Amino acid sequence: MERHTLRCALLSTALLITPFMHAQADTADKTIALSNNYAGNSWRQSMLNSWQQTTEQAVKDGVIAGADSFTTAENQATEQAAQIQNLILQGYNAIVINAASPTALNGAVKQACDAGIVVVSFDGIVTEPCAYRISMDFKQSGLDGMDYLAKRFPDGANVLEVRGLAGVSVDGMIHSGVVAGASKHPQLKVVGSVNGNWSQTAAQKAVAGILPSLPKIDAVVTQGDDGFGVAQAFTAAGRPLPVIIFGNREEELAWWKKQKDANGYQSFSISSAPSISSLSFWVAQQLLDGKQLPHDLLSPAISVTQDTLESSLKGLEKGGIVSQVYSVDDVAQLKSPAPQ
Amino acid sequence: MNLPIALNRIRSKPWLWSFLAALLVWLATLGFTGGEGAAALTSSALSFSAFFVIVGVGQMFVITTGPGNIDLSIPANIALSAAVGMKLMDSQNSLIALGLAGVLGIGVLVGCANYGLIRLLRIPPIIATLSASFLLQSMAIAYGRSVRIAPPELFYQFSTGRWLGIPYLALAVALFTVLAGYLLTRTRYGRWTLAIGQNMRAAELAGVRVERVRWATYVLSAVFASVCGVLLAGFSGGASLSMGEEYLLASIAVVVIGGTSVAGGFSNVPGLWGAALFLYLLVSMLNTFGASAGVRLILTGVIIIAVIAAVSGRKTLRSL
Repeated sequence: MERHTLRCALLSTALLITPFMHAQADTADKTIALSNNYAGNSWRQSMLNSWQQTTEQAVKDGVIAGADSFTTAENQATEQAAQIQNLILQGYNAIVINAASPTALNGAVKQACDAGIVVVSFDGIVTEPCAYRISMDFKQSGLDGMDYLAKRFPDGANVLEVRGLAGVSVDGMIHSGVVAGASKHPQLKVVGSVNGNWSQTAAQKAVAGILPSLPKIDAVVTQGDDGFGVAQAFTAAGRPLPVIIFGNREEELAWWKKQKDANGYQSFSISSAPSISSLSFWVAQQLLDGKQLPHDLLSPAISVTQDTLESSLKGLEKGGIVSQVYSVDDVAQLKSPAPQ
Repeated sequence: MNLPIALNRIRSKPWLWSFLAALLVWLATLGFTGGEGAAALTSSALSFSAFFVIVGVGQMFVITTGPGNIDLSIPANIALSAAVGMKLMDSQNSLIALGLAGVLGIGVLVGCANYGLIRLLRIPPIIATLSASFLLQSMAIAYGRSVRIAPPELFYQFSTGRWLGIPYLALAVALFTVLAGYLLTRTRYGRWTLAIGQNMRAAELAGVRVERVRWATYVLSAVFASVCGVLLAGFSGGASLSMGEEYLLASIAVVVIGGTSVAGGFSNVPGLWGAALFLYLLVSMLNTFGASAGVRLILTGVIIIAVIAAVSGRKTLRSL
């Protein structure tokens, strides 16, 4: 009887300890691939940099055997689907995807899942249920901008909305936040809307075209990578500068700082962090390690206020975006979005 | 004075259509705002159209040399030239000349590379220039990933400045189009270009140096795109990777709407201005009306088709 108890105790201890002993080593021979659909703007460049830095360190530390990144040339769903099929054949254990389309890759994603591959999508997410999705609450970010403007203009303001690329789901989500903000704060009147395509030059052009027909503009809500172009358009038209809600780009913050020093300009900036790629890497690594996570996860937004402007600009490289470094511990902090 | 002759005369000047379209759109916009902002709208239309016209002239030369000739490397060339130009100028007035020289050098190199792919490797232009554009875009990304270097003050002043409400840039580009028109209709190079576009074999037999003209044409197109890139960077306060994106379709659209024959052999320089103004004013008008993005894109497509249909009335007269 005595010996039996001892054996039981030993066995259960061993069982308890086993998962912890394997925690570091379990993914050491695993490989993760990044399938990315586009690299042609500063956000994507920062995103790829962040992936590279994080994964290089992880490989060096023996957390993972390899983490290669692949970007398609044409930003097309068909091309990316073919790329994912190649990655399946190459035997990666997990594939992290920034997708060209939320639905068009579902077939390839399903094939990957069926092959026992962990699929994590971020930023440009996929709807296939077997994949994991990490994305920012874009609607909330649009609403945050409007909330700030409501505080700045309690007596009402004319607002110009600069939207992103028509037809892309993120544009629709941020726009719905702006619409919600306008109905929540009736004193904010959206008097015009243009598509700036998340490009400084396109935004400058679109805003310059609509400005002559608009009354005095007090504020502009943007979606990121377009605020600097908006400022250029107002300057060129000789109009008083409105409060522009920025998207964390270095050139936008530098311009804000310059205006702040010159005339006390105040504003607010919010965007998703490009280091969401490294967060996704850690999520994939944790899943390979056997952790259970919900399939939908929210990544935090990063905002810059009047008080944090200088500290955000410090150390930010030219052409960069405000970001933050994620570690494996951040995965545990991730929340699921509230059910709609 | 009978009507058919007057009509024929109008039809023989297909560029009138694009100006007419631009004028109508301009009037419609101002009708909506009650005449407010007429000067500001015209001024900004001239600024942005100038960029379309610069790349449009290059694309027009290329398209004129005959079916299949097209330059798809323009957007990537713009992004690369803008990045290199801003880096060379380094925000200093004294380095503007160096920056411009560097950008012109890139234009010549890109043009030669395009032509080399087409001639030496016998790749069709549409594929040659498209693959060249991947190389250029990758170079722009590698070279200019952290570029938002402000343009030198003097260069910025020139790109954004105005004289009596007319942008300097528009004046300069207007002069440039006059020169391009002269080049096309009065010089041997221009006549040869038109001859090649009408019938390459016949032109060759008539003693036209076909390959030399094609080489010059691709180089000119690339140089103009490079110049557009650096000016655009000056205009918008620095270079960005995506700045050339909209110039792929726009460069072709201004050529076609402007009345140049897609089949080659017939170009139209003044039409470029009409078409560029029209394209810019059209989007402004739909924005002013508050049309949603979907409606805007559909209407843009429909109206462009309508204008092209009107312009190509000329073809039935010439009856190829």
